[in-house]
Amino acid sequence: MTTTLPAPRSEAPLPVAPPEAPASDRGARLAQATVRWIAALGGAFLIFSALLISKNANPLTVYTDAWNSTFARQQSIEDIVIKMAPFVLAALAVVVPARAGMANVGGEGQVIIGAVAACGTAMAVGDALPGVTVMVLMMLAGMVAGALWAGIAGAMRLLLKVNEAVTTLLLNYVALDVLLFLIYQPWRADPTGQPATKELQTAAKLPLLAGTTVNVGIVIAVIAVVLVWIALSFTTWGFSLSVVGGNAEAARRAGLPVAKLLLSALLVGGALAGLAGMVHFAGVEYKLRPGFGAQIGYTAFLASWLARHKPIPVLLACFVFAALTVAGDSLQLDAGLPAATVNILTGLILIAVLGWTTSTRKANS
Amino acid sequence: MSEAVLDEPPARSAELAVPLLSVSKFTKHFGEVKANTDVDLDILPGEVHALVGENGAGKSTLLKMIYGVYTPDSGRMLVEGAEVRPGSPADARALGIGMVFQDLRLVPAFTVVENIALSMAGGQFLRPDALAKQIDEASAKHGLRVHAKARVRHLSIGERQRVEILKVLMTGARLVILDEPTSVLAPQEVEALFGVVRHLRDLGFGVVIVTHKINEVRAIADRVTVLRGGRTILQGVIPSDYTNTELIEAMVGRAVSDLVADRAPVAGAAGSAPALELVGVRANGDRGNEALKGITFSVAPGELVGVAGVAGSGQRELCEVALGLRSTTSGAVRVCGTTTGSPRAALKAGAVSVPEDPVADTVVSRLSVLEHMALDGRALPRKRMGLNWSMIRSRSEKANSALGLKMAPLHRKVSELSGGNIQRVVLTRELSLDSTLVVAAYPSRGLDVLNTRRTQEILLEKRNASAGILMISEDLDELMSIADRIVVMHDGHVSGILSADEFDRQRIGELMLGGAA
Repeated sequence: MTTTLPAPRSEAPLPVAPPEAPASDRGARLAQATVRWIAALGGAFLIFSALLISKNANPLTVYTDAWNSTFARQQSIEDIVIKMAPFVLAALAVVVPARAGMANVGGEGQVIIGAVAACGTAMAVGDALPGVTVMVLMMLAGMVAGALWAGIAGAMRLLLKVNEAVTTLLLNYVALDVLLFLIYQPWRADPTGQPATKELQTAAKLPLLAGTTVNVGIVIAVIAVVLVWIALSFTTWGFSLSVVGGNAEAARRAGLPVAKLLLSALLVGGALAGLAGMVHFAGVEYKLRPGFGAQIGYTAFLASWLARHKPIPVLLACFVFAALTVAGDSLQLDAGLPAATVNILTGLILIAVLGWTTSTRKANS
Repeated sequence: MSEAVLDEPPARSAELAVPLLSVSKFTKHFGEVKANTDVDLDILPGEVHALVGENGAGKSTLLKMIYGVYTPDSGRMLVEGAEVRPGSPADARALGIGMVFQDLRLVPAFTVVENIALSMAGGQFLRPDALAKQIDEASAKHGLRVHAKARVRHLSIGERQRVEILKVLMTGARLVILDEPTSVLAPQEVEALFGVVRHLRDLGFGVVIVTHKINEVRAIADRVTVLRGGRTILQGVIPSDYTNTELIEAMVGRAVSDLVADRAPVAGAAGSAPALELVGVRANGDRGNEALKGITFSVAPGELVGVAGVAGSGQRELCEVALGLRSTTSGAVRVCGTTTGSPRAALKAGAVSVPEDPVADTVVSRLSVLEHMALDGRALPRKRMGLNWSMIRSRSEKANSALGLKMAPLHRKVSELSGGNIQRVVLTRELSLDSTLVVAAYPSRGLDVLNTRRTQEILLEKRNASAGILMISEDLDELMSIADRIVVMHDGHVSGILSADEFDRQRIGELMLGGAA
């Protein structure tokens, strides 16, 4: 049997899409973006100055003092680098799930749980093993614990369809209570003194870089940045995560294991945050106490946003936040302003930068 | 489409009225690309003017210049006799020019009132009740049935389109431009739309309707302007003065011989399992309603089975069930004899698919055409830790030249492509694979005449290579010309299965409405 279709057409010229933007525009656009960034930062500092004036402080003196005490002293720069390490690791814990389209707001809790696991491991092992071995065990314990903690949120997302932004956030409060329970009860070193665990054995403390007060945490963090960058940019896993993050339905239709990918992103994120907790514990604090690791997770979340969830820019963003934290301490000392004042500046910068750069992106698309 | 739609519209002579819009010698070049060269167009009050042309003929550029999105390099534009130069869509709207885009731009979570309030200039406060009253008055006056308090996400595409048109009218448009309005509609909805358009014409509005379907030009247009390669080929002619062949030739450039669809005897290889077998399949839709209510039929290897039905009769769910994307509540689904309960199992059994909604179902933001080509359902080709991009590249280039659908360059971001170009990427990826089952939902959506024909040829080639093909289409002519059998769906049931010698437009139409056998 034969049927005919209505007359078909001959070859039409290939429709060429009009070029969206000539390349010559690129320079102008970059200049425009730079101006926007400067305007954003300038605006933030302007508002902060107004605040300082209202507190009878001379903004110029405050900025000069803060700059000098932050960047003109070797020790302050070392402090920045020390603070940076857990920030970077915890920010990567946001970057990886973000690639799969998820928001990990649980850095705070995953950091604490990682530190708890590291501390528990050190206490269990005691002096029986060489320091390096203890360190490696602590790292592994911190990463596994962080991953499991994030995995709770992952399981709830996959099995119960509860949004991970909510569960990771709420698990922060649970983690904090776990910490408080341990240091007030079973792990309390001195029943009459401050609630805290006993100090980490010296051999298991992270070693310092030669001639400085900086622990090797920053090296671990930089290595992690490079590994995450490679994993996200060059591996099939990273590509698959981008597909899931870009359009989960498309991923499902292409036969990608969407559930496994989502879970793996959260587990890796949790492991990185757990590692941040271990680094902060074994490199900075040496003991668990109330308020351990406070703000690391939230600051890192902001840093990841500022870096648009890209691993390499995370380094820069974390440096900025670490510097602001150190500057905040000197504000307190020099200008007699509460250290929290600097949080206002941090918030202003973040809002300004996100607001302005987002509108740039829209204008460009 | 029914007889009514195909009725000849009353031929209207160009009366002495001042044109609502008159464009002369519009030229717009993007670097090397001559999108428009000396294009002329004039629209009279009280006429329906069809603007036709293949993809890339320059229709969008012309409309964007009229609507103030682009500025023409040269040329003049008059609105009711006065020269104007709209610099933005807001300017164009102030001049009484309204545009309804192909991708409807409503907020799904908002009600109709809220959506219309968004586009109305006015005070700082929403007065929903007053506005609802205004909407009801306007919808009565213009013959656009719209439920003002309904949430947009509960409306069908046809209803959403009516809201868009109403919105445009309520902002004071005298000239309404509809950009490919029928491409998203089922036949019945097309009829309703054309009713609205005729009513607007009778009220004295000028209506521009963009299309590349000749039968729509015949059904609705008083005059037609044909663009090709950015130039006006026919300007404002009366369609009945031209034959179909002449109009299509004006669009495409030259004519080509007819495609002959040989129908192989539909036996399939004796003893081999059907490419797709559905037995008593029941499944729920997204809203928890039962969307498939006991579907039983099969597609043999080497057979092309068409599915006809009013939009929302269960076609989407049928495709998803066949591909393992939607779980069934009872019944069995088998691809080549293996039961498939997951997308991976269906892919492994050799199923490929052209999704109903390519943007929502396959386009990944930020990824290029090349990266989309990697996502063809096969295991990602690896090279050390990463993907073997050079292999994907050569594979894609081979697929592109074999299928001849001329997909966009591999480095382009898919989310920035037009609907037709996205469709060509999807078609090239899916139809270049070796497959035992092709599930194609509206495969020619967004395509021009040439690519539609090429896609039909490819589907027939796949059929002849003994793949089973399940094809959903809203175009009965398309189904009747290439399908070996047509399954008609109504409200989640199969209301009839017709073999080729039983094809009859009237009969299929009755079955689509559930007609008793």
